[in-house]
Amino acid sequence: MHAHELLPFRRDLEDRGIILCYNGYMTEEVLTGIGATIKHKMAVDKTDKNVARSLFSLFVEQMQNVIRYSAEKEILPLEGAGVTMRHGLLVVGMESDHYFVACGNMVDRKDVDTLRDNLTRIQNLDREELKALFRHTLKGETPAGSLGAGVGFIDMARRATRGFEFDFADVDDALSYFSIKAYI
Amino acid sequence: MTTMQVDGTDRTPGVAFDFANNRFSLAGESYPEDVAMFYGALLNRLAEHLAGLRGAELQFDFRFIYFNSSTAKVVMRLFELLEQASQAGNTVVVNWHHEEDDDNMREMGEEFAEDLQSARFNLISGPA
Repeated sequence: MHAHELLPFRRDLEDRGIILCYNGYMTEEVLTGIGATIKHKMAVDKTDKNVARSLFSLFVEQMQNVIRYSAEKEILPLEGAGVTMRHGLLVVGMESDHYFVACGNMVDRKDVDTLRDNLTRIQNLDREELKALFRHTLKGETPAGSLGAGVGFIDMARRATRGFEFDFADVDDALSYFSIKAYI
Repeated sequence: MTTMQVDGTDRTPGVAFDFANNRFSLAGESYPEDVAMFYGALLNRLAEHLAGLRGAELQFDFRFIYFNSSTAKVVMRLFELLEQASQAGNTVVVNWHHEEDDDNMREMGEEFAEDLQSARFNLISGPA
């Protein structure tokens, strides 16, 4: 890839309002580095502090979700137990003057229905219901049949003041590509 | 060991647990790579200490800038331990510090405090 290919690629990203994107192995080091960069950028832009805090929180929850759960992984046999690196895509951007944070990663197809049910349920809760579910989940007393909503997704739903969307695209018999996009 | 002191990092809070004087604080950022590894020993040591405590005056200061959802589970557990210590006959004060314009941090403190019946809870707003 040379300049005549990269420049249109960059312009395409910019046309989509993308401020920052990363595709590849997501590690804790990547989270630390990109997180610091996002904070600097928000400070330089004098972004409203509550918006900046929400954006940072959405970024952390989404990244940690990929780092922990992406079904696409490589285990490097280093000293000790080795290092597991999971693959994901992060996009931070702006649409109609509002920030969004999105992540994509592979999930096992057998988990798709559960994940979809879970997220649909969270999506349909109002602020008070989200607060109550967050609380129950923190206490480990999530009612049976709730599918064990991850506390990370509930936190994301609370922080995404303009809501969130998600989607799946089947890749092969075993894997599906999952994306989540949260708006502030 | 009567104190546990850990310096804060970009992703983990500064810890100051003074068991002799029953003064405890967590301050800064909290989105560790491994929450159990960071908080596990601290929680166990605190739970042990509080289990045998009667008639003491105890103060816990939370001064978080940001914490992630895994840390929120730890904070919930800390509030439970502090409420138990209060009900066991200690005077417990929980101070929740937040930047004055940080609505979310204030609300999180209020939510955690909903379970406190015996322990005293103060929201303390400071300059950003």
